[in-house]
Parts: sequence; C-alpha cells; structure tokens
Amino acid sequence: MRTTELYSEIKDLNLSYLMLAQQMLREDREGAMFKLGISDEVAEMLGNLTPGQILRMAGSTMLLCRFRFDDGLLLNLLSNHKLDPGAATMHATILAADRPVEALA
Amino acid sequence: MKNKSIVCEGREIQVATELIRLGARLQMLEAETHLSRERLLKLYREVKGVSPPKGMLPFSTDWFLTWQPNIHASLFMSFHRFLIDHAGVQGVEATIKAYRMYLEHLEHHGMDAVLSITRAWTLVRFLDAKMLKYAQCKCCGGQFVADAYDLTANFVCGLCHVPARAGKTRRKAPINELLTV
Repeated sequence: MRTTELYSEIKDLNLSYLMLAQQMLREDREGAMFKLGISDEVAEMLGNLTPGQILRMAGSTMLLCRFRFDDGLLLNLLSNHKLDPGAATMHATILAADRPVEALA
Repeated sequence: MKNKSIVCEGREIQVATELIRLGARLQMLEAETHLSRERLLKLYREVKGVSPPKGMLPFSTDWFLTWQPNIHASLFMSFHRFLIDHAGVQGVEATIKAYRMYLEHLEHHGMDAVLSITRAWTLVRFLDAKMLKYAQCKCCGGQFVADAYDLTANFVCGLCHVPARAGKTRRKAPINELLTV
C-alpha cells in the first residue's frame, strides 16, 4: 500500500471512529461508555469535540483507536467459533466489564 | 410519604412509568418511588391496561445460583458495576440502565431474557444486603454472583466449566434437533 493511500485510510478510520463515538455518546452516554470502554472524562472530551477539531484529529498520521483486548482469553472467547456463541459473548462481556477503562492521564 | 415538590413527583412518575414498561412489579415501584399506592395502581393500569399481578415477590437467593440464571445475573451485574464505578449512575437509575443494556445485549444475540426487571432489582438488593457476593473465577478472572457463605477460594465459573446437560431444557430441545439435522 502506498503511503499516501495508507494515510487516507487511517484518516477515514479515525473520522468514522470519532463520529461514531460522538453519536453513540449523544444517544446513550452510559451505554456508549461501556461499549467504547472509556472513562467519564474521555467521554466528556469526545462529546465536546467540534467538527473542526474532529477533522484535525482525524488527519493525524496515527490511529486514534487502539486495540482493547490485549488478553488471550478474551480474544479466544470473541474469535472462537466452536464455543456456543451466546454463552461466549456473555462470558466476554462479563470479563470486559471489569477491564480498566481508557482514562486521561 | 407525601410529596412536597411537584417537579420531584413528576420525575418519580416518569421513573415509575419506565419501570412499569420494563415489567416491574408493584412492590418494586412502591420501594423505589414515594408515590402513593393508589397513584401507582392507577399508573400501572394506564400504562399496561391491566391490573398488576398480586402475590409476593420471589425472595430466594437460590434462584441466582443455578447455572443459567447465574450467568444472566452475573452479566447484568457486570453492566451495573460498570455504570456505578465508571459512569457515576446511582440507585434505581443504574438498575434501569443496566437492565436496558442487558436486554439490548440479549436481543442483539437473539437470546431470551431470563432475568426480569424485578429479579434484577432483587439481585442488587441481595448484593447490597450481603446475602450474595461476588466470587472471582480462578480460570477467567471474571466476577460471578455467589452465595455469601460459599467458599470461593477455588471458585470456577459456570462458563469456564460448563456442567453436563447445562442449558439442555425441554423448551430448547426442538431447536437443537433442528440444528443438528
């Protein structure tokens, strides 16, 4: 992939992520915090971003969302097809709820 | 108790309406709002179109300890815990929000709700009263609902170690048979 292409892909993803997060937070703040795995402060900050700020943030060369589940067990639960899907997602959700949330340093 | 403020009363009516829509029993409404029994009865009939069911609420902690209810209870409590710890939601508000998240989760995955709102509310109260506690599974590290007097040092949850025949109810059987054919 050419570098310019890569950067435009990153920008697209960043933009989708930020806009989706904002929309989720606006519709159901607490539920969105759970789904995004973010703390109150981060939710506040994301919710207050103006469209201009979102565009500028999205245009960075880095991805803004990061991999949440750096945990073998959780990964296995979410990706293993042999397990009963209903039970596996419930198990994963129970475990994910106790994972630390993304917070401002 | 008589309500002093009309704004307060309005808010409580809203909470009560929401609870009734979610299927709450009258006893729960009485405990969570300061509205009089007559008003709640009237509200219930208006929202549901029928009189509220009579009789006592389920009061046993055992129900939450059997396999399927335990998983559903633990799932509900994980939402509830998150809301209290991270989102600053309190009281009955947390129960309502967590219950909505629970329903949403099940609906998304095409499962039936096992926990009713009244059961969920009772569960929160049992945990507050220390009749139930959380036990950490030694395999997955998740927090699961357990009896207050259980020894839980070597606790393994029902999802890490699924008991034989778990979830194979008579109601589910025809669907399973269809899937294997």
